[in-house]
Amino acid sequence: MELSSVPRMAAGCRVHATQDVLLIPEGTLNLTGSAREILLRVDGEKSVERVVAELLQEYEGVDAREMQADVLGLLRRLEERGVVRA
Amino acid sequence: MAAGPLSLIAEVTHRCPLHCLYCSNPVEMQRAEAELGTEEWARVFGEAAAMGALHLHLTGGEPLARKDLPELIRSGRAAGLYVNMITSGVGMTEDRLAGLVDAGLEHLQLSFQDVEETSANYIAGTRAHALKEALVPVIRRSGVAFTINLVVHRMNLDRLEEFLAYAEALGPDRLEIAHVQYYGWALKNRALLMPTEEQVRRSLPVIEAAKARLKGRIHVEAVFPDYFGSFPKACMGGWGRRTMLIDPVGQALPCHAAGVIPGMVFDSVRERGLGWIWRESAAFERFRGDEWMSDTCLACPRKEQDFSGCRCQAFLLTGDAAAMDPVCVYSPEHERLVELRRPQPELLPVWREL
Ligand code: SF4
Ligand code: SF4
Repeated sequence: MELSSVPRMAAGCRVHATQDVLLIPEGTLNLTGSAREILLRVDGEKSVERVVAELLQEYEGVDAREMQADVLGLLRRLEERGVVRA
Repeated sequence: MAAGPLSLIAEVTHRCPLHCLYCSNPVEMQRAEAELGTEEWARVFGEAAAMGALHLHLTGGEPLARKDLPELIRSGRAAGLYVNMITSGVGMTEDRLAGLVDAGLEHLQLSFQDVEETSANYIAGTRAHALKEALVPVIRRSGVAFTINLVVHRMNLDRLEEFLAYAEALGPDRLEIAHVQYYGWALKNRALLMPTEEQVRRSLPVIEAAKARLKGRIHVEAVFPDYFGSFPKACMGGWGRRTMLIDPVGQALPCHAAGVIPGMVFDSVRERGLGWIWRESAAFERFRGDEWMSDTCLACPRKEQDFSGCRCQAFLLTGDAAAMDPVCVYSPEHERLVELRRPQPELLPVWREL
């Protein structure tokens, strides 16, 4: 997973409509901090870079480097877990 | 008890084309004519979602034995639930699967009995292996999330490495290695199926290696058989804490094996709302809290984690459903369990007839 990658949710994985959980086969992962906002933008079309840019627009005053690290960190962890694919 | 169940297991039928040696369904099965109807299930799904349930597991028997399966899936999704299905694949076609995916099916789990056809068919009591194998590309084309479940026991655990490589080549999203659980029918074959301690020990590095090798490609999950532990597992996250199971005729159970415990009375969704059953029914209340626990458990800090272990297992092995799970090293009956782990003489299997 790099800044230029275009991530998508793996089959059978989706963010719950109202609650802060990610529904996956046979379980749930709790979404904390900005995870929900990040994942709602993972649609198989936007690059990681684009997701970061959108979030920066939404949340003024957040450090760009920090945001980038958060987004990449989360997506890489979820990719390892088989929940996000690039 | 404020929180509702997180997942609802819907045993939509007990009808099943297979006759697995390790079937964990009750020995007395519910008849087809008495099964809940489409509308009744829809109401149950709605009530579960309203209590906060997230996952719906459609299981059986074989869910495909129900003609209204697409409607059941649709009503689960309409209620806001994540819809899983556990199938033997028998009765599945490309068209039928397309209908299920169209209805909103999100995840499908298919189990394999062995890597080798003859042995797989022997264990399933049916010639289903080749059919399952042929179904895999169909499932993959459908785009539904796909888990392959490898059911392991004494007769195939030594071939685990081969079994894993076989499953990997089939290309699922997830791979589950599940040891047989000794409830229901499987209990009759326990001596035949229970692996030896040595087999289990040898399987661990094989599983770890597969996890590392497949990371990021196929998610591997393995459930360690608790017969070999020193401490029990919490029963499905604790009795009446996370899960609710509805059997084909609408009886609500805290777990699929709870029927083995004598004196248990299960309320039916035909007579009562799901909320009442969850909060107040005798079956769900029976092993909540800790008043019923043995003194050893009451004094043990692990009781918050394991809730004294599995009630059904405690009953099956000690005759007392409130006893501490004999998997626990502190159990006075632990020795009996250790005895069961020893290699057994060859025995003849008992298949389930239908
Ligand atoms: S009592 Fe045993 S069989 Fe029943 S849910 Fe708990 S672990 Fe499962
Ligand atoms: S004594 Fe009871 S609570 Fe403690 S580990 Fe054993 S079963 Fe669990």
